[in-house]
Amino acid sequence: MRRFDCMTILASRLSDELVILSLGGSVDEWYNAAPHMREASLFQQQLGCVTPQAFGLAAGLPHRRIISLDTDGGLLFNLGILATLGNEQPGNLKVVVWDNECYQSIGGPPTHTASGRVDLAAIARGAGVEQAHTATDIEGFTKLCDLAMKTYGPFVIVAKVDTTPEPGIRRKHSDGREDKYIFVRHVELTESITIMGPSEHN
Amino acid sequence: MRPSAVDAVIAGLKAAGVSIVCYLPDSLFKELYPALDAEPTFRTIRVTNEGEGAAICGGVFLSGKRAVLIMENSGLRASVEPLARMGLGAGIPVIMIMSFRGELGENNWWAIPHGITMEPVLNALRIPYRIVDREAEIARAVADAYQWSYAAYHHSAVVLGGELVR
Repeated sequence: MRRFDCMTILASRLSDELVILSLGGSVDEWYNAAPHMREASLFQQQLGCVTPQAFGLAAGLPHRRIISLDTDGGLLFNLGILATLGNEQPGNLKVVVWDNECYQSIGGPPTHTASGRVDLAAIARGAGVEQAHTATDIEGFTKLCDLAMKTYGPFVIVAKVDTTPEPGIRRKHSDGREDKYIFVRHVELTESITIMGPSEHN
Repeated sequence: MRPSAVDAVIAGLKAAGVSIVCYLPDSLFKELYPALDAEPTFRTIRVTNEGEGAAICGGVFLSGKRAVLIMENSGLRASVEPLARMGLGAGIPVIMIMSFRGELGENNWWAIPHGITMEPVLNALRIPYRIVDREAEIARAVADAYQWSYAAYHHSAVVLGGELVR
């Protein structure tokens, strides 16, 4: 299953959501697969931080659906967040884990899921996230996306994807600070709030 | 902690507009955690390690709400990776309140490293901090930490030590 194809399907189901996503090849792929979500997506280069940040955002904006686009390497870095999601049960948080069984951005050495013994969806269910499933083909991924959007409750989709990044796509060249400002201004605009306001006159 | 010191922390957080409290409990603040849980102004979120708590607080910042991470100072070491990436890489601030394990007066051998490493780690991450050991200074320190972090978009810390926690 190709990650870019999955992203295209997921993107077609998103409009008002906010997205936080992981590092590596998935950044450029999401940038191209979901052009209408660019300002609504926080592109972060933070192994182990993505789903916790998305959960924090979901806790702060409980009326809005938040999507975490995590990875096998990123989730394995901090499996504890699954237990926190199991206890907190954020109804508006949906997590997709792009599981390509390798650290793709550094050339592809295997992650622990490459052994075939480590099952991230089973770990999530064991941590109390009842709706945690693995998709191995596009049809299965599509059905899980639709179910996730209809379900109130934390939802984890582990998408087993190829290791080859989508060829010939445009590179996103902004850095973490620029991405944060773009994302924060989008949240401010769509929520009618001020997050990073003007300085005081004094 | 004395009840009045617990009240001062809670009053400081309320005045700063905090609505979400992430914590991993420790012994020096043991009276603080149930009081935070009982305070209707706050949603408390218990985390599995302090780095996870820091990342959750970063996400809360992006929502426009205000969060705090409360922990023992050993949790600072567990938080270094997300703090470095969020703070120095993206300018996403986390405000922390930590207990001062390992300061002069420490009576546990295992806590000595916490005191030795805390300030060098804070300095390495360019995190300004204030060590507070008087109740009357708690609320001002919390207010100043939020003021600074929301001007700098970087982390800050309030360290509670001395007779406040022993």
